[in-house]
Amino acid sequence: MKYNPVTEEILMELTKIVGDKNIMTDEEKIEAYSHDETPAEQYAHLPEVVLTPNSAAEIAQVMKLANRELIPVTPSGARSGLSGGAIPDHGGIVISIENMDEVIEIDYDNLMMVLEPGVITNNVNEMLEESGLFFAGYPMSVETCYLGGNIAENAGGGKAVKYGVTGRYVMGLEIVTPTGEIVQFGGKRVKDVTGYDLKQLIVGSEGTLGIVTKATIKLLPKPTQRVGLLALFEDVETAISTVPKIMTAGRIIPTSIEFMDKLSVKTSCEYLNEHLPYQKAGAMLLIEVDGNKEEVVNADSETIGELCLDNNAIEVYVADNHTTRERIWSVRRNIAEAFKVVSPHQSLEDIVVPTANIPKLMPYLADISEKYGIKVPCYGHAGDGNLHATLVKNPDHSMEKWYELEEEALLDLYKATKELGGTISGEHGIGSKRKKYMDMIMDPVELRLMRGIKKVFDPNNIMNPGKIFEME
Amino acid sequence: MNIVIPIKQVPETSNVKMDEETGTMKRDGVESIINPLDLYAIETGIQIKEEYGGTITVITMGPPSADKSLKEAIAMGCDDGILLSGREFAGSDTWATSYALSEAIRAIGEFDLILAGERATDGDTGQVGPGIASWLDLTLSTYTSKVVDIKDKSVIVERMVEDGYEKLQLPLPALLTVVKEISFPRLPTLRGKQRSRKVEIPQWNLSNLKMKEDFLGLNGSPTRVVNIDHPKVTRGGTVIDVRNDASIEKAVSQLIDYLKSKELV
Repeated sequence: MKYNPVTEEILMELTKIVGDKNIMTDEEKIEAYSHDETPAEQYAHLPEVVLTPNSAAEIAQVMKLANRELIPVTPSGARSGLSGGAIPDHGGIVISIENMDEVIEIDYDNLMMVLEPGVITNNVNEMLEESGLFFAGYPMSVETCYLGGNIAENAGGGKAVKYGVTGRYVMGLEIVTPTGEIVQFGGKRVKDVTGYDLKQLIVGSEGTLGIVTKATIKLLPKPTQRVGLLALFEDVETAISTVPKIMTAGRIIPTSIEFMDKLSVKTSCEYLNEHLPYQKAGAMLLIEVDGNKEEVVNADSETIGELCLDNNAIEVYVADNHTTRERIWSVRRNIAEAFKVVSPHQSLEDIVVPTANIPKLMPYLADISEKYGIKVPCYGHAGDGNLHATLVKNPDHSMEKWYELEEEALLDLYKATKELGGTISGEHGIGSKRKKYMDMIMDPVELRLMRGIKKVFDPNNIMNPGKIFEME
Repeated sequence: MNIVIPIKQVPETSNVKMDEETGTMKRDGVESIINPLDLYAIETGIQIKEEYGGTITVITMGPPSADKSLKEAIAMGCDDGILLSGREFAGSDTWATSYALSEAIRAIGEFDLILAGERATDGDTGQVGPGIASWLDLTLSTYTSKVVDIKDKSVIVERMVEDGYEKLQLPLPALLTVVKEISFPRLPTLRGKQRSRKVEIPQWNLSNLKMKEDFLGLNGSPTRVVNIDHPKVTRGGTVIDVRNDASIEKAVSQLIDYLKSKELV
């Protein structure tokens, strides 16, 4: 597909739609919209123009113009994504939803909230603080990411073991379609089987099927008690083999079961100046339980703690107040950021396998590390079988060697994941980073159906083109 | 080495909200935690105990629910807890509080060292530690940043002063108030938590501890809160939102327009 450039005339037309304060073309300004959290030198691409519209109506007009002129449009949130989803691979127009950050309604009677997509996820819960309600989405970038991005990527995060991922809480979506119509899918209805569930099709579609302009999300009563455990293990295998037992033998579904290997903990602790005794441990599990009765939550955490000790944990720490809980979670949340500081050249992966198969995955990671002479630190949402194994460039390797080896190592990793019944992304998405592996991981029929859906929504293939898969 | 650590239970303030009408803190749903600096005193005590042996008693004055903080300290590695709790203590200022705590510490018996956090996040006075030292006539090192050695019935410490560090040797028993530089507080362990649940925390007050009643509570406190005033905002201020690199230019032009409108440029 050949796209047309954004001409002076088109810029004038765009200015008319969004106003001259909401359009940017200076390279200095639009540079920020050329990358997300994937390595810029590999994936970044400049847009021709960035728009920061204020309404769905403006976005709809832009989409109509883009269809008429065959200009690609890439929706953009907080750009904390990890698969290149918000990068304008073909240039053209970037539509940033940053100005659309209004909370439209908090509906206490229905336990729902209606928001614009540019609201920062953490702010949702800050606004709900006093109401005793909460939004269960908890991606690790919670302090910066936008709700719209969470929906587009179907973000997972640290509480998915018990609460599931973002999609579970999306009740309704207003979107602008790639052809420029404004449409509402779903609403404040707990049940709805009236036709296909198009709102869930939008969830996780990585901005290829439309731009979310309003979202109705489900809220839950906020548990009053939370206890975190930090269990230290001698090695990765011992820690990981404990994970399935927490749910099977312990008969408890915790809020979170997070895994961190030694390198991950060390890197994050050094970055934070945190003095946890990480030298002692080859791996750690961060487990959290929540509920409304102190005795019950304490008993559950004790059951899990004992189970860890029975499985040869060296030590189990208990964090049952804000100070201690924040300390242990901060270590987990800052791993990715800390690695970026230490080693900018890396491939942060997002593989997911059935939880019972997690222990089987570990030897493969060790093999890859040895075969390619690179470090493969690993951390992530062990309770979901979702691990952020990260391939880190060996400082002795040249960049050419690294790119070559990264591709081969990824292929090995993905093959192993597939063998274990897993797939290549649990929550970060395919974007441009992983699309070349789609043929390997997906059934051709499934891919054909996906391309068909894309064609129905976006006949001219102008909405975030080149993401997830190529059209031909 | 017998160590006593007076601690304070304070509201967790990282997310605190103020009632704009009354000017007081909204305490509903606000969790109580050990005063953060007291954690450094506890850690220091545990490290001393690990090296020199002995026992650690934590003590606090507060409502019955303050036993939670004592249990947290025990879970970290302290041995016993004592809770001073009763109506007679209500409204105590730092003078009355340090008096009551010092009488309780006297009643515990022999001790070598008292360790306290330098100040509490809520009252922010830094007076209770030195107050106890004064009531008990102990040698005192405030702003202690390092315990160098304990020998010959004395403790050698470093304390932070404005232009560096001061090295002191204090005869025991002594009281040290500590700053963050002294240690990194450990986390309580599961075994520690289990042990702390079994520890009985005795409650002390006038009924079982000899104290001068007129030294206690609001009546015993020389401090009088005559009036609480909160500063009036005389200038509204204008916030210019710069949320990303792209909005810097817009913000700058807004700022210039604003300055121009005030005839400042």
